[in-house]
Formats: sequence, structure tokens, C-alpha cells
Amino acid sequence: MVGVEIMNYIKNKIQVVKAVSMVTYKEWSAYRTHSMVSIFVGPVYFMVQYFIWKAVYSGNSVLNGMELSQILTYFGVTALIGYLTMDFADWNLQMLVRTGKFLTFALRPVHHRFFALSQKIGHRILGLLFEFLPCLFIFVFIFKVNMIPASPGWTVLSIVLAFLMNFYLNYIIGLTAFWLVQSTSIRRVYQLLLGIFSGGLIPLVFFPVYLQKLLFFLPFQYVSYVPTMVFTGKYSLAGIKMGIPEIVGIQAAAVLLAALASEAVYRASMKRFTGVGA
Amino acid sequence: MKSNYPGIYRECIKVSFATAATYRFNFVLNAIIMLVSNVLFPLVTILIYGSGAGFPGWSFYEVLLIQAVFTLSAGISGALFNGILWVTMRHIIEGSLEIVLIKPVDCLFYLVASTFEPDSIGLIAGGCIMFAIAAGNAGAISLLMWLQFLALFLAGLLVMMGISFIMAATSFKWVGNSRIPEIFESIKSFGKYPQSILNKSAAAFAAFVIPVAMVGCFPAAALLGKASMPMFAAVIPCVLFALSGIFLYKYMIRLYEGVGG
Repeated sequence: MVGVEIMNYIKNKIQVVKAVSMVTYKEWSAYRTHSMVSIFVGPVYFMVQYFIWKAVYSGNSVLNGMELSQILTYFGVTALIGYLTMDFADWNLQMLVRTGKFLTFALRPVHHRFFALSQKIGHRILGLLFEFLPCLFIFVFIFKVNMIPASPGWTVLSIVLAFLMNFYLNYIIGLTAFWLVQSTSIRRVYQLLLGIFSGGLIPLVFFPVYLQKLLFFLPFQYVSYVPTMVFTGKYSLAGIKMGIPEIVGIQAAAVLLAALASEAVYRASMKRFTGVGA
Repeated sequence: MKSNYPGIYRECIKVSFATAATYRFNFVLNAIIMLVSNVLFPLVTILIYGSGAGFPGWSFYEVLLIQAVFTLSAGISGALFNGILWVTMRHIIEGSLEIVLIKPVDCLFYLVASTFEPDSIGLIAGGCIMFAIAAGNAGAISLLMWLQFLALFLAGLLVMMGISFIMAATSFKWVGNSRIPEIFESIKSFGKYPQSILNKSAAAFAAFVIPVAMVGCFPAAALLGKASMPMFAAVIPCVLFALSGIFLYKYMIRLYEGVGG
């Protein structure tokens, strides 16, 4: 009996994910040209990176253990992973809280976080089709960047974990709206830290060693740097080299911690929630 | 009756600060974040030079000066012009531009004035700090260099203004696309580094087509005594670019069809 109940529970969850993600996909398909902006923006940023690093490497063949071709692959992969993991659950949630519309979600028989995650899945399927794939072709066929992962299975797993990590972190930031109401400033602080310490700006091995050590204990590297390095098949930070299964295992543990933290903050925020009929 | 434009602008700025004061915590934090984020903007440059590499022919402080000038320009133009995109976008989505059009004042002027962004003070402050550090380490700067810098810096502001107006004009047709700024942000990034790192076609594009080199690189080069004739010649496309932004926005207003707001 318990087995049947578990199966029904899972079946129900899958149906919710399918329904919500499909609706979100269709909703955002109406604005697919918004996603397609990335087809211009991604390659332009890549070109800028190309010029910067070509100039920087003109007097060096290796910098911090990376060659020019590796660094170009790094930026290409970082951009592509960004399209798959992009998230604005924080913005959505703070808007729902500020406008009082969260009440309508509090009444539904689905946890809001699960609903938001399902929305993100639908939204990122659109990203896969209109951002990831076109940019992948541009990077491979126009910029001639090597886009073949060292181990496809681990890479996919690491990207899925990065997807979840980004979501949970953003969700926690969104929950701060229950205390601050207008939480745009907190969001910007977080986005700034994420932008710098996730490795999106520059590979983390370029940071001072003490900062690299600190980054082991912060969640940012698991959003971008780790999946990118898993893609390349070599992971190192602060002089510590790790096998791909080890770092993906650590990434999974970090995601679990983030999920637990988001649940703890969610429960605390529910104690502050008051609804007056939005 | 002739409109009192300076008076309107003054009042709009007062209202902007009063609005910011309503959400004081958010305003202060936003300004601080802008300051911090822009002090961190040259992080890539710092890390590159910190690892013993660099841009050939450019010292660290010279590159920092380019990025300081870019930040200052972004801060000033952010306060003065950036808001027009979002307000135009909102009016187009809601169909409420008529409310502005029926006012006895130029629509473009009114929208620019009423969207003054006090938050950009943080960005300007961040730019000033970076500028002071970089200019202090860049060697002696003569009066002529300062004058050249000022002229090119103003031309850079014209480019930023043109970009803001073109983005806002685009939102008349590309309704509700909040990613329009990303397109121009990516193009602007060509102006954040020494132009000598670009290939010829990219450098020509950044100097004469969408002259983003004038936002950061050219004024900084003038301060460093590296100004050349093509840099001064690039002032002309800057003026034309700004005028094309104004023309395009006004043209889109003429095309706008409202049904009562």
C-alpha cells in the first residue's frame, strides 16, 4: 500500500511539473524574441572576451594553468550553461509578496517552491531551444570553439545540479521580501556576488589563493564554475585538484544544503505572512 | 504659452529625490551597491595584471583610467537618460502615452526629466573614486589634456544619450522586451578596454559606427596624452549618433497610435 501511495505521489508531482512547465513554455513562447536577444548578446560578449584574452596571452602561453584555447572554451561554456540555468525566481517571488498575490499561491495545494521550479523548467526549455542551441552553433561553427564535453554524463548531472542550486539560492533571496517588502537592493547585492564569485567574469583560479579557499565554503562556484570545469574534465581551485565524481558529489551535497536552507527560510517567512484577499 | 523647461526639469529632480526618500533603505542600499559594483567593475583588469599579464602598451593605471571614465559616463548618463527606456516601455504596454502627449511640453523632454534616477549617484561616486586613483597614478596632466578630455567626455555622453533614446524608440515596436538594454550593454563593452586590442574592423565600428570608444577609451587617451586625430574626428559620428537617437524617438512618437490611455 505504501508503495502505491509513493507511486501516486510521484505521478502527481510529475503531472504538476509537466502541466506547469508546458503552460510556462507556451506563455513565454509568445515572447521568444526576448530569448533570442541572446543570439546577438552572447556572441558579442564572446568576441569582447576573445579580444581581451588574445591581447593578454600575446606575451604568455599559459596563465594560472590555462592556455588561450582553454580560456576561450571556458567563456563559451560558461555562457551556454548560463542559458540553461538562468533564473529569476527571486524577482517573481518578491513581486508576489509585494503585491499581495502570494496569497493565491498560499491557497493552492502545491508548494510554491515546487510550482516555481516547474515554471523554471518550462522557461529553460525555451532557453534551450532559442538561446542555448543557436549560440552553441555560433560558438562551434563561427568561433571554432571546442564544445565537446570531456565526460557528457557528469557534465549533464553537474548542469542539472547548477540549475537547482541557482534556483534554491534565488528562491531564498526572493523570500527576503517577507521581511523587506522591497527587496531589489538585496537581489542586486546577491547578483553582484554571484556574478563575481561564480566564475562568470573570469575563471576563479585567477583570484588570490585565500579567496579561492573561501569560495569552497560559499555556494557561488557551484552555479557556474563547477559545471564549466566538469565540462572541461579538470577541476582545480586553490591549488586543490579533484576528480570529476568527487567535485560533482560535493556539488550535490551543496545543493542539498541549499534546498534545506530554502525550506527553513520558507517556514520562517510563512510565520510572517498575512493575506488580505489579493 | 512658452513652457518653462529649466523650471520643469528642476521640479522633476526634486520629485525624483522625494520618491527615493520614500524607500530610503532601498535607495541608500541601491546607491551603495552601484558604488561597490562599479568599484569592482575593473576586477577582471586587476586580476589580469595581478597574474603578471596585461594589455600590451597599457599600464594597469592607464586601463583603470579608461574604466573609470567609462563608469563616470555611465553614472551621469544613467541619472539623466536611462529612465526613459523603462517609462516608454511601460507607457507602450499600458497604452498610456497619451497622458504625456497631451501635456503642453515636449514629450521627449518631459520623459527624460521625469525619469531622473537619483540611484546613479552611487555609480558617479564609484567612478569618481576610480578616476581619482587612476588619474593620480597616470603622470602629469596638462591643461590642454584636461580640455581635450572634457570635449571627448561630452561627446561620449552624447553617445550614451543616443543609445538611451534608440533603446527607448525600439520599445515602441519591440513591445515589453526588457532585454533591449542587454543588446547595447554588450556593444558598450567594446569601449571599456584599450582599442588597440581590437582588430581593425571592430575598432572602426567602435569609433565611427556606434562610437562606444568615445565613452571610455578616447577621453582617457586624451588625459594620457595619447589622443590622435581620428579620435577627434570621431566626435562627428558621436553628434550624428545622438541626433539620430532624438530623431528616431520623435519619429516613433509620430507613429504611436493611442486609443485613449
